[in-house]
This record gives sequence, structure tokens and C-alpha cells, in this order.
Amino acid sequence: MSKSMLKVKTCILVALCGMIGVGACGSAVYADESGGSYNYSARGNPVASPSAYQATTLWTGEKLGVGAFKEPSDLHVTSDRRIYVLDSGNNRIVAMDDRFKPIGTIDSFDRDGQADRFNNPQGLFVTDNGHVYVADTGNKRIVHLDPDGKLAQIVDSPKSESLPADFQFKPVRIVVDKAQRMYVMATGVYDGFMEFSADGAFTSFIGANKVQFSPAERFWKMLSTKAQKSQMVMFIPTEFTNLDIDDQGFIYATNGQGYEDVKKLNARGNDILRREGYFPPGGDWWTSSYDGYPRLTDIDVTDSDIYSLLDVKRGRILTYNGDGYLMYVFGELGNQLGEFDTPSAFDRVGDDFLVLDKALGELTVFETTEYGRTLNEAVRSYYRGDEEQADRLYEKATRMNANLDFAYSGIGKAKLRQGEYAEAMDYFERSLDQKNYSKAFVLYRKQVLRDHFTEIAGVLFALALSLYLWRRYRKAKGGKNIVAAQQRV
Amino acid sequence: MSPLSREYKFPFHLIVHPFKGYWDLKYERSSKTNLIVSFAILILMVITNVLQSQYNGFVVNLSDPDDMNSIMEIVYVVVPVLFWCVANWSLTTLMDGEGRFEEIFVSTCYALTPIVIVNLPWVLLSNVISLQEASFYYFSGNLASLWFVFLLFVGNMTVHQFTPVKTVWTILLTIVTMAFMAFLCLLFFSLIQQIANFVYTISQEISLRS
Repeated sequence: MSKSMLKVKTCILVALCGMIGVGACGSAVYADESGGSYNYSARGNPVASPSAYQATTLWTGEKLGVGAFKEPSDLHVTSDRRIYVLDSGNNRIVAMDDRFKPIGTIDSFDRDGQADRFNNPQGLFVTDNGHVYVADTGNKRIVHLDPDGKLAQIVDSPKSESLPADFQFKPVRIVVDKAQRMYVMATGVYDGFMEFSADGAFTSFIGANKVQFSPAERFWKMLSTKAQKSQMVMFIPTEFTNLDIDDQGFIYATNGQGYEDVKKLNARGNDILRREGYFPPGGDWWTSSYDGYPRLTDIDVTDSDIYSLLDVKRGRILTYNGDGYLMYVFGELGNQLGEFDTPSAFDRVGDDFLVLDKALGELTVFETTEYGRTLNEAVRSYYRGDEEQADRLYEKATRMNANLDFAYSGIGKAKLRQGEYAEAMDYFERSLDQKNYSKAFVLYRKQVLRDHFTEIAGVLFALALSLYLWRRYRKAKGGKNIVAAQQRV
Repeated sequence: MSPLSREYKFPFHLIVHPFKGYWDLKYERSSKTNLIVSFAILILMVITNVLQSQYNGFVVNLSDPDDMNSIMEIVYVVVPVLFWCVANWSLTTLMDGEGRFEEIFVSTCYALTPIVIVNLPWVLLSNVISLQEASFYYFSGNLASLWFVFLLFVGNMTVHQFTPVKTVWTILLTIVTMAFMAFLCLLFFSLIQQIANFVYTISQEISLRS
């Protein structure tokens, strides 16, 4: 009953958002048959949007023929579209091809002639050449298996001056870059990710979150004595919640600190994420304290700097482009197809999404709609520098969704290049892009001044001439008046 | 020259000769025409604000046309001016100021003149500038605000016949008083709301029981 009420409320909300959108833009929202989604307008208001993704199939362990999953916690898809599910509760890894046909299960490996097993592993990474890395949390180690399932190396109890003597190594997530360096997220580590070299030696921490004081906290700290300070809550940086790595070796990470929840780290650990969008990338922009704030638990980056985030609080997957504009949102909590209980991980297979539900042990497949495909391709063409195609695709996307404000900026840029400055200005204004609007306007102004130089110069000359004549006339008349006044006296 | 044309010229004269201008305003000129001109400036100020939020160029104006409400624009101008005048009058009666309420009001309105005459042309001009040239817009806006503050200071000093230091203190105290008044207003309205709510609940209960 309350579920259905919630559904009704959601529908009403979406409908209201749609009305706001229609009111704001004065143009109809394209209604997709697959039901509505939403996005945020340039001014940050929620507006209706067609769905970019649609849930098509639901897979369980039984349906796949490998036995039920028990609390699966991670998922990895390689570039050749093989799917690996880390079935934590059963301490095994299930591998499938892109048609969901099981191609193997790893539940033990040979270590010095003895069979060794995982113990509640939490993180999984598979390189493109098939090497499997498992964050074997319960055994406090990282297991690296070669493509044949043979043990390549085990990384445990890292030694370093920067680690405390009683350090407990509890890896939960892992990514591996092209040079086989491992980046590990471990619980109880506040200094960022742990970086290991290819031979398994701990090298350094990378990308720690910064601690932020509020002025009030700083003030109290200043006033308090040493004894009081030692009793205070320690200000320690927030832990990361997940990470992923892109083709160029940049690490994308999520955390739960409430601002800059998403980071893109370069090799030095600096955050280089572009936040040019209408709001900083993260969970839903409109939140209420009633629903609670977003909690991001997974991130996935694909080609063209497109990345997606999983908000476990609402069961949403939000996708942003490299500039930080929200492309589309899908998923929610519930009991129907395409709704989750406790989503724990997701990944892309090509352009399709796989979402793993920890509590239900289910794998949901989301496929693109026409709208989603258009938008993905538009962003990709723009990233490649194929701006003509990007313009065409953006136009197509805006025909399906008039509320897609950031696309207007893309169209505007194309118009600017084609020399249609006035039109470009209109598009930039719709997407609230002042910088490019100004660029187009300067060119437009120059063009108008050049085209109408004779008229403008003529009018100016005529104005100056009439002003001069009028003054002379006033002077002559004023002079007469003075003369008259003097005569009267 | 006709008296009418001199009336519209006087604010322009005052803003460039504030000491003499405010003196004349208080002691030489008829209070009726002063009031008329003051209201005219206030109305122009409202019009400027409305035009600014509606017609300022896109490079300096990101305000949402959907959120724009002319009634509220009037409130945003009139309420602070009234608050200022009431707070200033309440304070200066206790601090041996010579100004009457009317004089305070008139001097405040006249001080608004630079903001109107700077911002009104910018409504048109801001439509033909680029983002780089927008710094002129912001600079002149700030200049107008400073000018306004200076005029307010001179006006207050002349109206109450205070020393400069005392005027600065009065102005600072007036701002504190305005905050206090805002707090009292909020308190008052919230209480009224609760009383209304209470009466409504009682009446509903009676009507449901009988």
C-alpha cells in the first residue's frame, strides 16, 4: 500500500516536474513510451526527461546456472565484454560472456601445492589480458591470478615507514593500471588509496581527501586546552567509497564527505575533475533531509570521459559527461524490474548497464533507448572533435527532450562556427552559457557594425550636425533675449 | 526657467554638491515639493530594479524570469527605505538629532539618485556589451553604491546637525536597529499566525462538536 502510494507520489512529482519544464521552456516535453525520467534544468530545477535506459532482463544465479549468488559485492566487465561477478558470500568469482553464458568459476587456487580459498572478498578487478585481482578482505590480502586461474602473486601485510606498526591491511576495492600498478582502497585508511608497484611492494598513498574545518570549530579548538583537545573528536579525512580507472590511467573516486563527492585523480593525486556543469557532479541535486543525502558507493568510467555514479540511498545511477553535465538518471528502489533493494556495484557492457543487487543476489540489465543512444553518441562525437555530427545528434536529442539544456550549448558552438551568430546567441542563452554567449555576441556586433557602417555613420553625423545647429539657434535666440532684457532694463 | 524644470534639476545639483544641497533641502526649500520629488525618486528606483531584472543583458543578468515578481521588487526597495527611516528617526530623537521624520525620508530618497541615474542607462547598455566589458558595468554599479553611501552620510549629518564621528556611530547603530526591527517583525507575524491558528482550531472544534 505504502509502496503504491510512493509510486503515485513519484508519478505526481514527475508530472509536476514536467509541468515546470513546460512552463519554463514553453515547449512540450517529448513523452517516451518507456515512462519518464528526469534531469535538472540550467537553473537547477528538476525537469522531465525521457528515459535513457530501460531495464530489460533480470539474472539470478539460478537462472545463470551457477547456483544462487550470496551477497555479491563487486562486478567487473573487461573490454572484450567478459563479465566477472564477485560472489562474496560463496567466496567465488563467476565469469560469463556477454550473452550471460557462464564460462568459468574460480573458487580456489593452488598455492604451493595446496588449495587456497577466498574469505569474504569485497573487490575485484580484471585486466584486459585476463589477469584477475581480488581484494580478499577476510584474509587481509590481495590475490593476483593469471588468465589460467593460476596464482601469480599474493600481496599482504605491506611494510612501510608511513604505515603504523600494528597496521591491519583490509583491502575492499582494487583497480590496476596499464603498468600493473595496483591502487587499493582499504578500510581504516584515511590517507587515500594505497598504491602498490607491479611486484606487490607498497609505494605510497595517493589522493587523500582534505580535512575541512568550519570557522566555529577552529575557534573552539583555539580556545580549548591541550587536555580538552585530546578529548575532542579528531578531524580525520573522509574515506573513499569506491574507485575506477580510465584508459588514460586517471583514477575516478567517490567519497561521502558531502562536497566534491567525486574526484578524478592524476598520477600526483591531485583532483582534476571538471565541474563546469550546472551543479557539481554527485548524487541528486535536489535532496531533502527526509530522504537523506546521497551516498555514492560505486563509480564507473567509460570512454570519452563519461562516468556514472551509484547512489545507494535512492538506487539511482547518474551519468555525467567529462565537463560535469548530468546526462541521464535511471534506477530506483523498489520491487519491480529495474528497481533495486541494495545495489552494490554496476558496470557497463558496451553501452548497456549491469547492476548488481547485494541483498537480492540479482543482476539487472539496462539497455539504451533511442534517446540514450543519441545522447551517448552526441557526447562521444563532441569528445572526438567531430562537431558537425555532435551538432546533428544534439539537435536530435533536443527534439526528444526540449529540457536538455546543456545540449543547446553544443548546438550553439556549432552555429558559432558556421557563422550564424544570432542563432548561436539564442542557444547559448538557453543553456545559460555566458562565456560563449559573449563570444558569439562580440562577433555578431562586429558583423552588424560592418554591414551597416554607412547607416550608422550617417545617423551619427546627422545627430552631431543637428546638435550643433540647435545650439547655434539657441545661442542666437538667447542672445536676442538678453538684448531684449537689457533693453527692458 | 519654470519652477518645474528647476525641481527635476535639483537632485542632480544635490548629488554633486551634497553639503550645500542638503542644507538647501532642509532649510531653503518647500517640504511639499521635496516630498513629491522624493516619492518620484523612490518610484524611479523601483522601476529601475524591475527593468534591471527584466531587461538587463544576458552577460550581466542570470536572474530567472519565472522568479521575477514586480510586487516583490517594490517591496525590496520600499521596505528597506522605510526601515532605515524609522530606525534612524527612533535613534536620532534619543540622540539629540534635529531632523524630523519627513526630513530623514527626503534625504534618504535623494541619496538614491546616483543609483537610479547610473543603473537606468545600463539597462540598455548592458545589452550591447561582452563579458570582458561587463567589468565596467560592475565598476559603475559599485561606484554608484559608494556614492549613495556617501550621500546618505552627508544627508544624515546635515539633517541632524551632527559631527561626522557621531554620524558614523548613528549609521552603524541604525543598521543594528534595523536588524532588531526585522527580528521583532518576524516575531510579531509568527505570533499572529499562531493566534490565528489557535482561533481557527477552536472554531473548528466548536463547529464539529455542536
